[in-house]
Amino acid sequence: MSEAARQIALWLIPGAPAAACVLIALTGVRWLRERSHYPCILALCVSLGSSLGVLLLGIPDIAGLGPDGSHPQVSAAGYEWIRVGGLDVSIRLTADAMGAIMVTMVTLVSLLVAIYSVGYMRGDPGYARFFAEFSLFVFSMSMLVLASNFLVLFVFWEGVGLCSYLLIGFWYRRPSAAAAARKAFLVNRIGDFGFLLGVFLIWGTFGTLDYQGVLGREGVLQQIAQQHPGRLEWICGLLFLGAVGKSAQFPLHVWLPDAMEGPSPVSALIHAATMVTAGVYMVARCTPLFVQAPFVQLIVAGIGGFTALLAALIALTQYDLKRVLAYSTVSQLGYMFLALGCAAGGKEVVTLAVTAAIFHLFTHAFFKALLFLSAGSVMHSMGDVIDMRRFSGLRGVLPVTHLTFLCGALALAGFPLTSGFWSKDEILAAVAAASHGTSLYAKSFLVLQFTAVVTALLTAFYTFRAYFVTFWGEARFPAEAGQHPHESPPVMSVPLVILALFALAVGAAIGPSGLFGPYLAQTRGLTGGEEHVVAWMPMLLGTAAAVIGIAAAWLAYVGSPGLSGRLARVSTTAYNWSLNKFYWDEIFAALVVRPLQGVAWLCRVLDDYLVDFLVNAAGRIPWMVGSLLRPVQNGQVQTYALVMMIGLAALLLAVLNAWAGG
Amino acid sequence: MSELHNYLLVGAVLFALGAIGFVTRRNLIMMTLSAELMLQGVSLNLVAFSYLHGNHQGQAFAVFIVAVAACEAGVALALFVALYQRRKTLDIRAWRELGEEGLVSGTGGEEPPIAPVLPAALESPRLTPAGRVPDISKRRADNRV
Repeated sequence: MSEAARQIALWLIPGAPAAACVLIALTGVRWLRERSHYPCILALCVSLGSSLGVLLLGIPDIAGLGPDGSHPQVSAAGYEWIRVGGLDVSIRLTADAMGAIMVTMVTLVSLLVAIYSVGYMRGDPGYARFFAEFSLFVFSMSMLVLASNFLVLFVFWEGVGLCSYLLIGFWYRRPSAAAAARKAFLVNRIGDFGFLLGVFLIWGTFGTLDYQGVLGREGVLQQIAQQHPGRLEWICGLLFLGAVGKSAQFPLHVWLPDAMEGPSPVSALIHAATMVTAGVYMVARCTPLFVQAPFVQLIVAGIGGFTALLAALIALTQYDLKRVLAYSTVSQLGYMFLALGCAAGGKEVVTLAVTAAIFHLFTHAFFKALLFLSAGSVMHSMGDVIDMRRFSGLRGVLPVTHLTFLCGALALAGFPLTSGFWSKDEILAAVAAASHGTSLYAKSFLVLQFTAVVTALLTAFYTFRAYFVTFWGEARFPAEAGQHPHESPPVMSVPLVILALFALAVGAAIGPSGLFGPYLAQTRGLTGGEEHVVAWMPMLLGTAAAVIGIAAAWLAYVGSPGLSGRLARVSTTAYNWSLNKFYWDEIFAALVVRPLQGVAWLCRVLDDYLVDFLVNAAGRIPWMVGSLLRPVQNGQVQTYALVMMIGLAALLLAVLNAWAGG
Repeated sequence: MSELHNYLLVGAVLFALGAIGFVTRRNLIMMTLSAELMLQGVSLNLVAFSYLHGNHQGQAFAVFIVAVAACEAGVALALFVALYQRRKTLDIRAWRELGEEGLVSGTGGEEPPIAPVLPAALESPRLTPAGRVPDISKRRADNRV
């Protein structure tokens, strides 16, 4: 692959969806209409092809060459955006190993979800709008991944946030969808505010915003760590705050479950596979920065572990199938952060930790997208009912969906040899390695290791609870489903089958075979050469957790169906806490929303009574002055004539007087 | 000299009568006539002074004024016809849209009502029809919308 070909391929990745977005936005409503998906799918094929080109040809071609050969990256200049004083921000696409893996995953999942959407969104009045926003999202996401500069990263970070907002509120006539979109946007603002502060601090500290300038010079980093103790900790902490918002970690996790108001393909693509993992990607990308701040990494691990456990506990009792999956997404993202935080265990764990996190991100994207799309398929045939209490025994009616959901559930539970198993095992191995690390914080990871195993157990349980409740038992359908619920059309089931194959096999294909680790290790900040670690102890623990969880779910929901109800009655308090999501929404309402509403009310009163009074008073003065002269204008011609005559007489008198006097 | 005095006196009386008439009458035509009266008073002054000085410019002016007054009267009367067709009255008080609303009238006293329209007055004179009769029923329907 020549240099020119590499650059063109790199630009095509975001360029094609951007062009599709413009085309659909301009002509979709009037002309393309039900053909609106063609430009989108074509553009995604182009993007996927280019991504694969960069991943498989572009980067290996230049690996080992040049002065910085161990960190190969494909780079394509765009244009100079801002150049003021020392600030030099240019839009420049850069794909290193991590970026190439990420962008390939993004475009592949996007393509499959787009094909699925053709069936799922058929007949929707907003068909063209859906595909325009979808293309815009893929554009923003690939720009986010390929950015080579913190400011550009931030711009597209907001860009994906905007697309998320638009697509959550896709059915904006539904009040719940509009409220969910607003909630997602506002909660993300908190994280983004922290992220922006972090970017400012980077600018203040390093004098540049380029990845190369910030992350690429280890000497500078160490110098700064010595000169300004605490500065790097602040930067990392603020960046992590941004990741907490975007990736729905505690305490900003509340928006993601509500985001399920959007169409199912959106939940699959944005709120499971790609956008929410942007936080993980960003933290992994900033590894050289984070290794200088082990304490922040410990916080990352702590928050990740806590979120994983919390979300898993909530997911145990939810009745809404998509919400179960949403909480499992939160939980799995927590798992990834836990893995990233393991780098605090010592310098020797860094590569293992980041590899584990990105590997889990990669496999998770496939099986979670698969689960969401399968849930969407269930919704499709059940007449948009998603409450698990209202249907069961769908095995017979939805054979394909049943099998694909099973594949996704096995992968999510970490059943041996599925892709989730390999990546989860690697995370457990990373946590175990961190607990034996040389760092000061190594001992803390013993607790986190325990958390991780418990979470794995809970994950297997709630995933299979959803599976058994939905697909097993007697066949029951809600009234909305009509007389004969039917399987989804091939345009929806084929992407499901492809994703199911990925969910089962991709982990085994690239993880233990040693393709993923060494390739990713070419990324800056990681030290290369490590093979896939096979740690028997964590693998055994993970497998045991998965199998016990699945068996428990079978026992509780199929083996002796009354058991779950009895359990719920025995532990009413715990059950209610979990069902009500540990009351986080209520706590936020009391601590944040209510006080802010009070402030807003105060502002309104001030505005209505003080500001408006002053403004009206200012307007009143000319009015009063005018009222002195107003009677003159009474509309009576005679009055006007009289006034004119009197005036004329007065003038004459004055002139004659002046002459006589002169 | 006394001869001139008489001329000026007649001119002043004409002007004053015109002014009083203009201010007190409400009928548009009467107001126009009063205005004409004022104009003629002024013309008489011009002619008188012209005669005194033996200068014919003043006479010429007077002729001009008569001509202009004729034109002006023609335009004014045409306007009155148009206004009459709108409101079916010649009372000046029917048109006071430019005034401020809600003001008491200048006299302060009880205002007499605007002159009622005589049924006979509704039948304004019309021209003898010539050529094709315009189809006004359709246009009326349009206007109503």
